[in-house]
Amino acid sequence: MSAEQARARLAAALVRLGAGDKAALEQVYRATSAKLFGICLRILGDRKEAEDTLQEVYLTLWRRADRFDPARASPITWIAVLARNRAIDRLRRKRTLGPAVPVEAAREVADETPSAEDSLIEDEGQARIHHCLETLESAQRSGIKEAFFGGFTYADLAQRAGIPLGTMKSRIRRGLARLKTCLEAGE
Amino acid sequence: MTPDDRLAAEFAIGLLEGQDLLDARGRRASDPAFAKAVDWWEARLAPLLDTIPAVVPPEYLLARISAAMADTPDGGAEVVRLRQRVRFWQRGAAAGAIAASAALAALVLTPQNRTPADVPVRAASAPLVASIPIGDSALRLGVTYLPDRKELLVSASGLASDGVHDHELWLVPDGGGALRSLGVVQPGRERRVSLDPATAALIHDGSAMVLTREPLGGKPPAADAGPVVAEGSFDRV
Repeated sequence: MSAEQARARLAAALVRLGAGDKAALEQVYRATSAKLFGICLRILGDRKEAEDTLQEVYLTLWRRADRFDPARASPITWIAVLARNRAIDRLRRKRTLGPAVPVEAAREVADETPSAEDSLIEDEGQARIHHCLETLESAQRSGIKEAFFGGFTYADLAQRAGIPLGTMKSRIRRGLARLKTCLEAGE
Repeated sequence: MTPDDRLAAEFAIGLLEGQDLLDARGRRASDPAFAKAVDWWEARLAPLLDTIPAVVPPEYLLARISAAMADTPDGGAEVVRLRQRVRFWQRGAAAGAIAASAALAALVLTPQNRTPADVPVRAASAPLVASIPIGDSALRLGVTYLPDRKELLVSASGLASDGVHDHELWLVPDGGGALRSLGVVQPGRERRVSLDPATAALIHDGSAMVLTREPLGGKPPAADAGPVVAEGSFDRV
């Protein structure tokens, strides 16, 4: 099955799931759970938390898969972003409840290149993000990655770096402007 | 880079918190151009998630999820029904009706199997509480309802004002009538609100609330309510 076909099938299963077809869950689950569990586990650093988040994600898909628009988004991108957002949400809640921030959750994601079978999301052009991040200053790059993977806000980043909030904001914002220019140049 | 585009990037990456996050979340729900900008960033950032290796979840998880779905009989179909209800509600509602998507989001939280007969009369004097998460932030709006005094305590201790907006809390009546205002939230403060008996009578375990963003002072009488930025429901203590 080509990547194109896999995508079309997943999109169709998502639409069925949103229409209330419970049988579509298994198909969506089989196609995406390893990918999503990996994401949740990396962000939360805890299997139990990752399992709970994954369950929440699939129940959300079932309740609102109707908001998925095949014309607008690739299904796996849509689901992966949803899983990431839920995991970050949970991580932040956890962080405010207890002092124990899992260090793993905060670790920098090194320059890993995705393996072929993990590359569900990548489309030509979209993968420019890897290249474009490399064009930033290292402090900008690590700030953006720590926010994206570790749920750290501007205030968190400033505190961690021991610099004023305003300094951190302008640093990251310069990076965002550059990132935007670079991403657009590839389209 | 326009300020909106920058905000979209900050929102998609997760850099915002507090009032900024609230505003961005509200904008995404109410402003299609901004929503599109957020989608653009999410799609461009998503390949970063490909750097994470896949991990097969434990066997039992699929069964657990199916069981959780079975506990909620209708799922997707329920959303369709709710949408019809919202349309009906919109047709009937005069000034003060809020946008369909926002109303739908709020109504989805309302347990559908709850009929007025299920409402626990016995526990009428026990306080009800709600902890309403605000956006993706760690902030929560704490709401406690004291039935015997018909009083509401609204605690917004973590919130800061942006000086331009206020947030107003609303009760979503079960039958889908017009939203009932529970007052304007005061950032950084705990506020005590006395409810009129008609509004108080509508509150029970499971009642849904939404928080909307409004001009300073709350929703102007002639205007529609602003975008829904958070939602939650009452629970027994």
